[in-house]
Amino acid sequence: MKKSLRLGTAVALAATASLTLASCGFGGGSGDDEAGGKTTLDLLVPSYSDNTQGLWEDVIEGFEAENTDIDVKLEVQSWDNLETVIATKIQGGEAPDIYNGGPFAGFAADELLYPAEDVVSPDTFSDFQDSFIANAEVDGTAYALPLIASARALFVNNALLEQAGVTAPPTNWDELLDAATKVSALGGGIAGYGMPLGSEEAQAEAAVWLWGGGGTFGDATEITVDDPANLPGADQIKKMIDAGATQADPGSTDRSPLMDIFIQGKIGMQVGLPPTVGQIEENNPELDYSIVPIPTQDGSPMTVGVMDQLMAFENDGDKQDAITKFLDYYYTSDVYVPWVQAEGFLPVTKSGAEALSGEEALAPFLEVLPDAKFYPSTNPQWSATDAAFKALFGQLQTKPAQDVLTEIQAQADAG
Amino acid sequence: MAVTAPAFETIAPPAASARKRRYTEDQVPLRKVIVRMIAGFIVLAIFVLPYVIMFFGSVKTKAQIRSVDPTYFPTEWHWENYVNMWSTPETPLPQNLISTIIISVFATLIVLLVAMPAAYYTARFKFPFRMVFLFLVIVTQMLQPAVLTSGLFRQFLAFDMIDTWAAMIFINAAFNLSFAVWIMHSFFAGIPKEVDEAAQIDGAGRLRVLFTISLPLVWPGIVTAIVFTFVACWNEFAASLVILSTAGNQPLSVALTKFVGQYETSWQYVFGVSIVAIVPVVILFMIIEKRLVGGLTAGSVK
Amino acid sequence: MSTTSDASPIQAGAADGRPRPGSGAPAKGGAAAPRPRGRDLLHALPWIGPALILIFGVVLFPAVVMFYNSTRDISQSGVDKGSVGLDNYIEVFNFPYFWPIFGRTIIWVVVVVVATVVISLGLAQILNKAFPGRRIVRLAVIIPWAASVVMTTMVVYYGLEPYFGIINKFLVDIGLVDTPEGYGWTRNPVTAFAWSIVVAIFVSLPFTTYTILAGLQTVPGEVLEAAKMDGAGPIRTYWGVVLPQLRSALAVAVLINIINVFNSLPILKVMTGSIPGYDADTIMTMIFKYIQNQHKVDVASALSVVAFVIVIVIVAVYVRVVKPMKEV
Repeated sequence: MKKSLRLGTAVALAATASLTLASCGFGGGSGDDEAGGKTTLDLLVPSYSDNTQGLWEDVIEGFEAENTDIDVKLEVQSWDNLETVIATKIQGGEAPDIYNGGPFAGFAADELLYPAEDVVSPDTFSDFQDSFIANAEVDGTAYALPLIASARALFVNNALLEQAGVTAPPTNWDELLDAATKVSALGGGIAGYGMPLGSEEAQAEAAVWLWGGGGTFGDATEITVDDPANLPGADQIKKMIDAGATQADPGSTDRSPLMDIFIQGKIGMQVGLPPTVGQIEENNPELDYSIVPIPTQDGSPMTVGVMDQLMAFENDGDKQDAITKFLDYYYTSDVYVPWVQAEGFLPVTKSGAEALSGEEALAPFLEVLPDAKFYPSTNPQWSATDAAFKALFGQLQTKPAQDVLTEIQAQADAG
Repeated sequence: MAVTAPAFETIAPPAASARKRRYTEDQVPLRKVIVRMIAGFIVLAIFVLPYVIMFFGSVKTKAQIRSVDPTYFPTEWHWENYVNMWSTPETPLPQNLISTIIISVFATLIVLLVAMPAAYYTARFKFPFRMVFLFLVIVTQMLQPAVLTSGLFRQFLAFDMIDTWAAMIFINAAFNLSFAVWIMHSFFAGIPKEVDEAAQIDGAGRLRVLFTISLPLVWPGIVTAIVFTFVACWNEFAASLVILSTAGNQPLSVALTKFVGQYETSWQYVFGVSIVAIVPVVILFMIIEKRLVGGLTAGSVK
Repeated sequence: MSTTSDASPIQAGAADGRPRPGSGAPAKGGAAAPRPRGRDLLHALPWIGPALILIFGVVLFPAVVMFYNSTRDISQSGVDKGSVGLDNYIEVFNFPYFWPIFGRTIIWVVVVVVATVVISLGLAQILNKAFPGRRIVRLAVIIPWAASVVMTTMVVYYGLEPYFGIINKFLVDIGLVDTPEGYGWTRNPVTAFAWSIVVAIFVSLPFTTYTILAGLQTVPGEVLEAAKMDGAGPIRTYWGVVLPQLRSALAVAVLINIINVFNSLPILKVMTGSIPGYDADTIMTMIFKYIQNQHKVDVASALSVVAFVIVIVIVAVYVRVVKPMKEV
């Protein structure tokens, strides 16, 4: 007893001492901004592909050649670690100056970001396509700069469908179920429809189905996952699973490994996105496939659009000029277009869209883009909703649809 | 554990005997040797298997690793992966290796210098707060690295040591201190006290006793502590991820994650780097293991 | 064993009946009136001081931040919005899956540690016998220790994947799995958790085995000889002579294993990461999910504090029962 008491005293004493230290406030300091009269810009970006680091290095090299008084410090992290790193930096009062990420509404709500118009010239700002800028707005002010966009479409293995006696790619759910069931029946480990409901990107497959059935995740002010309009989609997922039209264990299958299987011709149909085209070309150019719009309940056109963005953190507020110079440089057509092209995504600027309109690989996606619906990413709660989908949506495989939607809504609301 | 005391009482202090015998019989029938070899081979196979798979992966192409019709052995051997991985666009691997070595070596040295005296003293002498000290040491291990990183980041920001090797050396040393102290403590405690006392009566100071009498006796324990510490530093990830932001400063554990893209991963390099990362530790162990065996064959007091 | 080893009295008059009464002011005040305890502590300082500096200098602040954060409301982006008292703790305990997760954590620790120790005792015996090639086998046993846990887990994970996995292929080839693409071991909570335990034992073996092996070297040959002459068989010798001598090394190895296994995140993170819901989680993966998925640093800190208390209780009980610290 005495032993633990003594320990307790020691720990308590030490804790008090250190708490004093803590409340005095560490952080807020901004390190070595002015190294030799130069302004240093910290740039934190995720890795899209094995090109990412090199592409950014090229951009920075070109920029620094023109602006010798500015140093850009690049930090590339994998998507897995990106958010841990940014959160740690923000808690330490050391947010990067420019950050490439997904959800931004939370940062905007905490008043950490420059409004977009404050960090790019009017010319650059007006070059963004309107629909994308609209998706970066909170209360009428854009807080993020669209960076890249993607739209989803259905990748179809023509050979497998033919083998199973399916004549045309499906356009609605009934046809999809029918085609997938037939392909699955081929046996030998072949699956009709690749359905990734695992944690990696469950929210995307959820959107494909729930929105395809007329549902919605909500808007800028309200998250509405637990909504009757979402039930048809969720029920249809269960129907696909119960009919054996999907691969085994869809609830815990991640997207990337599943796509590898599609690329190698073992899956009849799976929803993919622009970079998938490049992956097929690299890994299995012989694959006989086509890209068609995503089948929906009634066959009406719909696709899931995703936009990643750049955002500029205010920090001490003394780097606005340098940030503006960098972003203006980055968004010039000569710099931006090769960048976005190498990563295999869709451009978000008008000039970029023009420059890439002739790209054959992007054509099917550019075609469906007008019908794109986006995540309610301007809702500060979206980040929590996104997490809830990733953590819980796969339970559809075993639990009733309504229960799953209720649970996701509850977790999103609690976030 | 009531048996402990009587059994222990009967042990003559090692000093009394000129030579300690191995804990193995000198003459072993051939049949026994063969059984042992078979057992040894099974152990070897089990422990090596995952790393053989890893190695096979490292000489495949990206596409072969993700092939839906896997083969047990690589069909083609792409040794060039081991060349190319040093100059990938994702991460400056040579610098990462240097970082890892520097951080691990210095952290291990600090741990040794700091932990050994503490372990020796706590095992040998009574002083106030002795148990509190030992407890405090072990408590550092019970905290979750994942939640500590944000505090560490702020602290080293205040020290103006963010993105420096020194920061990671201190962090690694501090967090690996406890096991080293405890491991060495248990070994020091295992030496009969009379050995030290005899030396002290002869007029040797505590430090001399530690280095000339006690240390040689606890080599196996020190080796265990060194390997334990070095390996822990070598593979540390959570703190390095947030403290070191420049690609060239980061250790291999963080560099590995750079091969993981959003939609595809260069697994051949991930596996290759992992194999490369294992080698120095195994070499360290090969060097050090002789000491362990030394403790085995010539464990007499000099 | 009596507990006198640590019973040197504490400061502030906590004298415990030693001949000389304890001084109120320990250590600090120079050696003006040297009293045994203060002097003892003074003597100890040069030996333990550096360790204390390192611990207080590096570990204390982040630990305090953790406790502090557990009572704060921290936004998803990491901004501190003020105190919320114990709300974060309430959220931790009100989480409907908390108790199953707690139970799974205990199963995880107990199964992994017990299996590790039992297997290690056997392994150490094999590695301690002389046979040709022993050195190579010893080196092989070190590899899982040298390799990063994440990478070892990753290899097993990919081996177990349907379609790609070599382990799955093997199981299909020998007819244990009848779907041609293999079974989704890592796709189902129970099998994924079971495989995680296997991996955890595997990576814990080298350290434990080597600690035991090192401990075996301290068994004096004479004692074994004596036991042999007394007519004790190998099993009796092992139980009566060898194990007691291993006690000290083993006790510490078990303690380290308990803490390490309790705190282990990467194995479960990789093996059960794609499974929806909370049916394969332990406290560690839950902390990770709070941070990584839900961006709730505050709640994660609260759960970490809870985990800290749990492991301290486990260790305290262990230390009390097993007494890994030897007498002085």
